Amino acid sequence: MSSYQLNRFLFDLKMNEAVFQQALNNLSETTSRYDLSAEEKEALMAGDPRRLRQLGAHGMLALYIMRLNPDFKTNIYWSQK
Amino acid sequence: MPLVSALAASHAPNILLEPGSEWEEFMRLHYRMAPQAGASKPTLEAQQKLRKDAEKAYAALRSDLEAAKPDVLIVVANDQFVNFFFNNIPTFFVTLADEVKGQFTRHKFRYRNHKELGRAILRTGLEKGIDLSFGEHVELQHTQVVPLYFLLPEPKIPILPIYVNTWVDPIPTPRRCYRVGELIRDVASASNERIAILATGGLSHFPGSPRIGEIDTHFDHELLEIIRDGKGRTLADYSLERLLQAGDSEFLNWMVVLGTVGDTKAATTFYMPDHVATGWGFVSWKLT
Repeated sequence: MSSYQLNRFLFDLKMNEAVFQQALNNLSETTSRYDLSAEEKEALMAGDPRRLRQLGAHGMLALYIMRLNPDFKTNIYWSQK
Repeated sequence: MPLVSALAASHAPNILLEPGSEWEEFMRLHYRMAPQAGASKPTLEAQQKLRKDAEKAYAALRSDLEAAKPDVLIVVANDQFVNFFFNNIPTFFVTLADEVKGQFTRHKFRYRNHKELGRAILRTGLEKGIDLSFGEHVELQHTQVVPLYFLLPEPKIPILPIYVNTWVDPIPTPRRCYRVGELIRDVASASNERIAILATGGLSHFPGSPRIGEIDTHFDHELLEIIRDGKGRTLADYSLERLLQAGDSEFLNWMVVLGTVGDTKAATTFYMPDHVATGWGFVSWKLT
């Protein structure tokens, strides 16, 4: 199965500030706009980049799920691309 | 006029991050993908020495670049999901914008883009059977601005970003990248301008992977020795698998520059593994 939609969501978390803000406020509602499998949604909610990678997310996009983790909210990684 | 200068340099973000808090904050994120990689992180003193060594390498390359008095600097790098996504991944892409901009932490970058040179490369490529993609807008990212911070901090001359897909399968062969370099060399030779070229990236690293932290220093040294011997064309025969097993996919950017320099021996090489992610490599070829 294609992981296009999973990667699309992660890419939008990186590049689309509106999607990022919406996901911060309500991740479940935001992911519902993407055609994701139940397993992909669950992995996104769990916030584990390693699991996302195993589901087909590109490793460097999978890391962007960490933007939603309060412990990494101000990480310097987000101030560069 | 033949190319006046050729360079290759790593673009690892931690080269430009401040040793200590910035470096460790950045790597803390990467370690979420590979927790074991944090075990070998260098001390603050080691980080500071790496930064100084990298600055020394960049200074040598910048000296060679400035001595060549270029009118334009071609920058061959890979996109990392900033301009391109899975809906459209160009194997090679030439920038036709009027200007290009980008930001890295507190550092902002803005350069004129030499779109006329871009068009010359595109047209000559079409005549020679090499069809490159192109577009009129890109955002610069660390793959370009980390080296540019050290090599061209003031936008005294325009640049021309050219992208190589080194990340998303299927990626081009080393031979195809070398051939694109030969095309650029031909365009430069037919130009009245003084054209320099920079490849960025590498060397061995496995970003976004459980293997982050592994650095194949043996393979990196092999590559640099071949470059010093002026035998870069032999690397065009390397298989992709051979590069990928060593984490050297971004060496494909370097293959383009190797195609421009042919059998010229590198004048200067530097190598320093950062012990957390990447083997930092730096090369200058003196062409004039």
